[in-house]
Amino acid sequence: MTLFHFGNCFALAYFPYFITYKCSGLSEYNAFWRCVQAGATYLFVQLCKMMFLATFFPTWEGGAGVYDFVGEFMKATVDMADLLGLHLVMSRNAGKGEYKIMVAAMGWATAELVMSRCIPLWVGARGIEFDWKYIQMSFDSNISLVHYIAMAAVVWMFTRYDLPKSFRLPVTVLLGLCVYKAFLMELFVHVFLLGSWTALLVKAVLTGAISLCSLFLFITLVHSN
Amino acid sequence: MFEEASEVFDNMFKSSFPLTLTFIVFLPAVLILVSPLPADAAHEFTVYRMQQYDLQGQNYGSRNAILNTEARTMEAEVLSRRCVMMRLADFSYEKYQKALRQSAGAVVIILPKNMSTMPQDIVQQFMELEPELLATETIVPVYFALEDDELLSIYSQTQASSSSQGSSSAAEVLLHSATANGFQMVTSGAQSKAVSDWAITSLEGRLGGVGGEDLPTIVVVAHYDSFGVAPWLSYGADSNGSGVAMLLELARLFSRLYSHKRTHAGYNLLFFLSGGGKFNYQGTKRWLEDNLDHTESSLLQDNVAFVLCLDTLGNGDNLYLHVSKPPKEGSPQHTLLKELQTVAADQYPEVKFSMVHKKINLADDTLAWEHERFGIRRLPAFTLSHLESHRSATRNSIMDMRSVSSSLDGAGEATAGPHVDLKKLSRNTKLIAEALARVIYNLTEKGTNGDLEIFTEQMQVQEEQLASLVDWLTTQPRAAQLVDKDSAVVSTLEYYLGRYLKDVKRHFVRADKRDPEFVFYDQLKQTMNAYRVKPAIFDLLLALCIAAYLGLVYLAVQNFGFLYGILRRVTAPRVKQH
Repeated sequence: MTLFHFGNCFALAYFPYFITYKCSGLSEYNAFWRCVQAGATYLFVQLCKMMFLATFFPTWEGGAGVYDFVGEFMKATVDMADLLGLHLVMSRNAGKGEYKIMVAAMGWATAELVMSRCIPLWVGARGIEFDWKYIQMSFDSNISLVHYIAMAAVVWMFTRYDLPKSFRLPVTVLLGLCVYKAFLMELFVHVFLLGSWTALLVKAVLTGAISLCSLFLFITLVHSN
Repeated sequence: MFEEASEVFDNMFKSSFPLTLTFIVFLPAVLILVSPLPADAAHEFTVYRMQQYDLQGQNYGSRNAILNTEARTMEAEVLSRRCVMMRLADFSYEKYQKALRQSAGAVVIILPKNMSTMPQDIVQQFMELEPELLATETIVPVYFALEDDELLSIYSQTQASSSSQGSSSAAEVLLHSATANGFQMVTSGAQSKAVSDWAITSLEGRLGGVGGEDLPTIVVVAHYDSFGVAPWLSYGADSNGSGVAMLLELARLFSRLYSHKRTHAGYNLLFFLSGGGKFNYQGTKRWLEDNLDHTESSLLQDNVAFVLCLDTLGNGDNLYLHVSKPPKEGSPQHTLLKELQTVAADQYPEVKFSMVHKKINLADDTLAWEHERFGIRRLPAFTLSHLESHRSATRNSIMDMRSVSSSLDGAGEATAGPHVDLKKLSRNTKLIAEALARVIYNLTEKGTNGDLEIFTEQMQVQEEQLASLVDWLTTQPRAAQLVDKDSAVVSTLEYYLGRYLKDVKRHFVRADKRDPEFVFYDQLKQTMNAYRVKPAIFDLLLALCIAAYLGLVYLAVQNFGFLYGILRRVTAPRVKQH
């Protein structure tokens, strides 16, 4: 459409990140460079993932419209590397749990936003053609911010030595959910033939549920001892 | 908040300048460089522009090719600077004029894919409108598009949004703007400009007679180009594909007769396929000038018996001989007239043959029939056609195309618009061939009956041959602007003539540089993109919604502690139980 439309999409995509950064108190810790480092780690991890995928996962040349469940599942498994990356970021930062989580998640999510959404928005939303998908993409970036915060929290809990035995199972389940969320979403869309808005809603609900659970666990863990 | 931001930036600059530079300068630069104009349009279709040409200093047709406006249909209140879309079924001259009066930015007329499905009266009405659309120059671009499902859906969406305007409240308009789609029509090409040094090609070939010097010459002429409101859509099946097919068939028949010693007659036959026939017979004009003014000896200078022009002969049971001067008793012209009458009466009683006399009107912008070009140069000439008047819409219509359905089912089916009926075309060919042969061999004076058939058995007119000729001629538009000297049409015609005739030559007409008699323009076929767009008010509305959403996000993040507290209180009792 117009530059104005691009502005709209951009604001929708970026302002929640800014608000989160400002209001979570990260700016008071002067955590900007730590976030950038987290972003750099993100880039590195993505590169490794891509290399791995390109080496070990040949292009599946199945018929059009056929969904390769096993292949996609295997590919989603590679996303485990994200967990490692987040752990790496958090282990290099000293500080309180919340601070570590927020820095890792903010850096990670912002890097993803810049890398994978900036150019499509710039190219697409500025064009003459109007499409709702750019607004949806911006909403999606908001959802992924929440997703990464929850994921970082779960990773942080998982890597704690003093994690009570009773927590082990739910945290592992949440980890699995975080990793395979994208795969699950694809599956939903494929099986139930969801429209793009419905898919977005389902994604938001799913992410909300995961984050609430992880928040619940986090609070319990932090204030139990 | 802003102070903090500036602090962040300060830090950035201090700590690592090169990296920051990358972020601030390099990244936007890359983004700008890698963002070409987005090309994925909602729909992309081919459009054919209306004629644009100058003839004898007069401008005709649409003078513009660039289109970049929003689409509307006739139902909309305001049409100014909009692209008005019309379907052929709803098209009328009043609507067209109304759109132009409201200073519409462009007009796109959607034609059905298969013209023969249209009711007869609509086709007829449109055919009669075509000359009127072209009669004066139009400033805005006028395009024709062929209907498909996507285009129809664009049309209906545009119609829906056009008709709902004006009569609803502000809230409805707002709601409507969010849900309905507008379409921005954009053509890809550049502005139309005059084609310089365009050559119109004409073809000539001959069969020499035997028996002494200074033999009389019979000239058979047909113009091969077609004309319609849009050059790329003018297939000209009946006018003048039928005449060309007939000329080629006559060439074939008489070349067979002339290849045998016993049937080699004392007449020279000169065949001429003229180009630019729809532009005041430019090809013929130049050919005559070349032959009469610039050459020492030419068949046309000496003893010309008559010139027979074939124009639009592929249909109908009437046959008219158009003359600008009634032939005198005893002249070869008169003989042919008599022979045509004899053959028509004795062999084809269903054909109503008659002569139409019309004087050459030099005051007119254009000549009526091709024979008038010869008449002006004092050559005895006439035109054969199944049309009674040169003003018949059939001669200049995009509806004049080969319709397949009629040839499959034969007679009895009412086909909309002009078309070529092969049976009638071959019958007319036979009739004219018989009459010509009777003149050439002087059969009446030798006392043969009128019902003697010459072209029978091995010599008969081949209907399949005619069919394939007409089919080939109508596979591509043959408008004069599209047939240049390298085009397949010309070279195939040349090859075909060369198979039967001798001395096949090309003649070129180029318009004079300083005072051109005809000027053609390009950009006649373009790709049009329909982009889905929303009005500006929608952007504002969206901005408001996004601002509200961001406000909510801000509140949510600010009051995260509240949620935290609740959850803590929920979990706290459990902890105490331990």
